[in-house]
Amino acid sequence: MSELLASDAETNGLERLGLLASALSGGPLRVASQKISEPAWTDGTTVFIDPAVDAPNRLQALAVQASLLAAGSLAQEVIRKLARRPALTRRYLAVEGHRALAANAPLLPPAVRSLVDSDVAALTDSPAASLAVARQRLEIPDPPQVFGTIHAQSLLAATPRAETSKPKRTSQSTRAEPDTYDEDEAADALDLFSSPVGGGGAIGKLLQRMLGVVRQLGDGGSPGADAPTHRTRSGGRAGATFVFSTDEMGGFDDGADEQRGVTYPEWDVHRRRYRPHWCTVQEVEPRPKAGDTALGLSDAYGLRRPLARLGVGLDRCHRQVQGDDIDIDAAVEAQVEVMAGSAPDEAVYLDSVRRRRDLAVLLLLDVSGSVSEPGAHGQTVHEQQRAAAAAFTVALHDLGDRVALYAFHSQGRSAVTLMPVKRFRDPVDTLVMRRLRGLVPGAYSRLGAAIRHGAMVLEQQGGTSRRLLVVLSDGLAYDHGYERIYGAADARRALSEARQRGTGCLCLTIGASTDAEELRRVFGSAAHATVPRLDQLSAMIGPLFRSALYSAEVRRRTHNSMNAVATEGN
Amino acid sequence: MATPHTDARPYYVPVGNEEQVFKAAFRQGLSVVLKGPTGCGKTRFVEAMAYDLERPLITVACHDDLTTADLVGRFLLRGGETEWVDGPLTRAVREGTICYLDEVVEARQDTTVVLHPLADHRRQLPIERLGITLDAADGFCLVVSYNPGYQSVLKDLKDSTRQRMVAIEFCFPTPDVEEEIVACEAGVDHEKAAQLVQFGNAIRRLETAGLREVASTRVLIAAARLIAEGLTSREAARVAVVGPLTDDAIVTSGLVEMIDAYLVEPPG
Repeated sequence: MSELLASDAETNGLERLGLLASALSGGPLRVASQKISEPAWTDGTTVFIDPAVDAPNRLQALAVQASLLAAGSLAQEVIRKLARRPALTRRYLAVEGHRALAANAPLLPPAVRSLVDSDVAALTDSPAASLAVARQRLEIPDPPQVFGTIHAQSLLAATPRAETSKPKRTSQSTRAEPDTYDEDEAADALDLFSSPVGGGGAIGKLLQRMLGVVRQLGDGGSPGADAPTHRTRSGGRAGATFVFSTDEMGGFDDGADEQRGVTYPEWDVHRRRYRPHWCTVQEVEPRPKAGDTALGLSDAYGLRRPLARLGVGLDRCHRQVQGDDIDIDAAVEAQVEVMAGSAPDEAVYLDSVRRRRDLAVLLLLDVSGSVSEPGAHGQTVHEQQRAAAAAFTVALHDLGDRVALYAFHSQGRSAVTLMPVKRFRDPVDTLVMRRLRGLVPGAYSRLGAAIRHGAMVLEQQGGTSRRLLVVLSDGLAYDHGYERIYGAADARRALSEARQRGTGCLCLTIGASTDAEELRRVFGSAAHATVPRLDQLSAMIGPLFRSALYSAEVRRRTHNSMNAVATEGN
Repeated sequence: MATPHTDARPYYVPVGNEEQVFKAAFRQGLSVVLKGPTGCGKTRFVEAMAYDLERPLITVACHDDLTTADLVGRFLLRGGETEWVDGPLTRAVREGTICYLDEVVEARQDTTVVLHPLADHRRQLPIERLGITLDAADGFCLVVSYNPGYQSVLKDLKDSTRQRMVAIEFCFPTPDVEEEIVACEAGVDHEKAAQLVQFGNAIRRLETAGLREVASTRVLIAAARLIAEGLTSREAARVAVVGPLTDDAIVTSGLVEMIDAYLVEPPG
């Protein structure tokens, strides 16, 4: 067997053709080697090529197979008619191959262009027409060797590319429901007077904000702050720094018993009101996977760089040598010094500098049963999401941000389980990674309750003014009594509640095949994105985080100004 | 910064009706947003339009620490006095020039708000620190550009900003036009230009397969200019197209395979 397969070096050589194949076929396509002296063929995701042929023939064989895919020649409805009919398949390939190449002509490398027989290509204008020609009794010469062959069975067995976007789990039949999403969106945005968390409407929230979590951090004291650099916040004359703190954190939700769990309301889209104390969330310690020593603590997907610029607070620095504005106090003092005859200090500008790390992130990892389904690239959605969660945790932790990671699944409204893989106070160590690896997907996902609990933990324990909730989920919100439309509306509601309170929300779907429409339904106006492959994460994550944080910042600013007014009123 | 007109019109080949649209918007005092991928000719287009309309052009490259003061102006100290120094936007408003903010989404969002009264019917620039409001002089035109990027979910430019503008969409030119552009800009023969353009188009098909940025007309021209200096097509494409596109070794080797397939050296 091993004699028949190419050596590793040659295999790598073929894999390098993957980009060219993808360009020619207009979609992701890999190249792999196969047995010596077999004709080339494809299963729709990979082109198999004899590694022994020389480079020009290899290129031609590849171009033919990729062009067949690009031209739709290998679509299910045509291929089905070719199954177990080798003679017809050969005649079809002889005709359709030329058509596909001709259709792809603008992209064909020079060495391949000579392959096209425009006379044959002119006989047909679609796969169906080619099939018709192949069925006629015309004299059709056998296709050239480099055309390879069509393995109808393999193509039918492989998941066709065109159909992968369908959601894998067909949802239960839902009640016939008029489309009320737009209306619901509007309600989400303007709902100031009903309370999402119990305990008063807008006024209540205002009071809570005034009396509850107020924490002003002194110099160098913000959680995870970098060591002070040479730039000082203000010059020596600025006077004493002071800290005012009227209450410690986390004072107002202590009533909930840890054992019984915390209850959260749920939005009932059908009756258009909340069901108070509807869901019970319990925190259950996850079981670490024993004996797992794989660390995975490195900055796996290059996330550190795009994340480094985020969540950095703007500091207004007084008495700088250069800046946007004149520090009037410093300028007057300098003027006085001049008049008094001594040398003035030239640092008389105000500058706003980004340097303060000011970000707490809570990652919510969906470990319901649906994520154990295989994704588009071999790994299950769970494996990909888990890898992303680990990469985020490590990268954010390295940057000095506050970060926590909770996994969730549910079994009905009374048993929503959140598993703290890493709490804010835990260090990032092997135990965290082992807990993460010990997670086994199962049960359902009551997304709304998980989001509400995550947002609450983030607000109570985050300790920074910028907060970001990242939901890693396949977007299929489903549980007992939590069917698709209802669940989507509740999840959307929970996200908008979190945003109202100044927590940015970002929903990421990694490697799953949930369609965009469904995701929009669940995640609403929160920033959300589908990342097809993990290695694409680093490219997208910067703008996504920024947009999620920005949307929360606007809310927070409004709230802060409301606070200021309320304080002045006192 | 303000570019004085040279004698020749900047080389720009229209792809659609963008020149008519721009000139109409200019005459009506409307602001323009240019959307399109990097290196497809947005900046060159504005230069050509400034030439045609006989207005000077002030270009500001936006970055994410660009503050309002950087655009509008600031007080500086000179001797014992404060002195106001106009920013580029204020200068454009006073002098009636075309002000081009390149990659405007890179600027902080609180900065772009200063554009709002300028971009709509008011055409005014309030300068808070001076306590004055400037009316835009005739011939002032605000042009911003941005790259909508790879994901439509990133609504980076605020709706309130976007809706004050006329949008012109740019895309890469068709292969014949692009071949003409590459040949003309770099002074290489049409055959070499055609090969480069075909290679560029093949790379553009890879956007779906995970390449974040694709080969722009600009990098193709850069490659062609190296060819004009005597480098072979393959060498030039490697340093001017592949190198800038990716740092990833696997992607690089894949792209080098594509170079070998598409760029054929003439024998001898």
